[in-house]
Amino acid sequence: MMRAARMARRFAAPSLILFVTACGLQPSAAEVHYVEMRGLEFTPAVLNVRVGDTVVWRNTDVMPHTATSDDGSWDSGSLEAGDEWSLSIDEAGAVDYACAFHPTMTGVINAE
Amino acid sequence: MLRRTMLAAAGAVSMLGTAAGHDHGADKGPNDSEIAHIAYTAGQIDIRYAHLALAISDNPEVRDFAATMVRDHTAVNDAALKLLQKLNVTPTDNATSQTIAEQAAAKRAELKQLTGAAFDKAYATNELAYHRFVNKTIEETFIPAADNDEFRALLGVALKTFKTHQGHAEHLVETIQ
Repeated sequence: MMRAARMARRFAAPSLILFVTACGLQPSAAEVHYVEMRGLEFTPAVLNVRVGDTVVWRNTDVMPHTATSDDGSWDSGSLEAGDEWSLSIDEAGAVDYACAFHPTMTGVINAE
Repeated sequence: MLRRTMLAAAGAVSMLGTAAGHDHGADKGPNDSEIAHIAYTAGQIDIRYAHLALAISDNPEVRDFAATMVRDHTAVNDAALKLLQKLNVTPTDNATSQTIAEQAAAKRAELKQLTGAAFDKAYATNELAYHRFVNKTIEETFIPAADNDEFRALLGVALKTFKTHQGHAEHLVETIQ
């Protein structure tokens, strides 16, 4: 099961890259991926990432959404219009997720 | 009763091309300020249905659905008000808004008399019928009649949201039956 750590809401992902770089860690392989929450869909709905990458969900809809894993390992909580939420991926695997408010709004994170 | 209510509401909306839309030209239907008022009123109606469900129902699925209705319709109405303010459009009260508000008050009075599974079933059935009616009106009357591009786009967002609600309501009705 992929395990992932929740980052702060409204987190500016580029700042993470700068911070990690400043700390002398290994940012070169890590990427930041964006998932848009719009029109009651996650775009892209299927996202392929690598362990160490960060996924940022941006709610550009007018209503609140969540990104909530089916296995219960992570949950963004309610994201209002304009909010962002980031997740660092630290284990390989596939996790299905959905919006807790709109069950037809689903996505998958595939980590390798 | 529900069928009569929905037919009456459909009849009310059919008046748009004549009564509410008289300033906009009979061929084009209601103008943006009238559409805004009707759409906002329709959203408030569903929010009030949802608050009733949250007050009466113990069914977790019904309560989750109702909470989503409050959350989404409030968000869409807030977005609409923000856009209308930006566009300097004031929603105009009209006969259709008044009619659907009166019909909704009658439906709420009817629902208030129910409890338990009877309420859940009636609420879910009404939500499905109401969303079908509202979605048909937005798609076939409001979007074609809307003048402003941004307003029309917001109606499109609302329609997509409410169609999802309709699907959710269909599932709820099937679950409760």
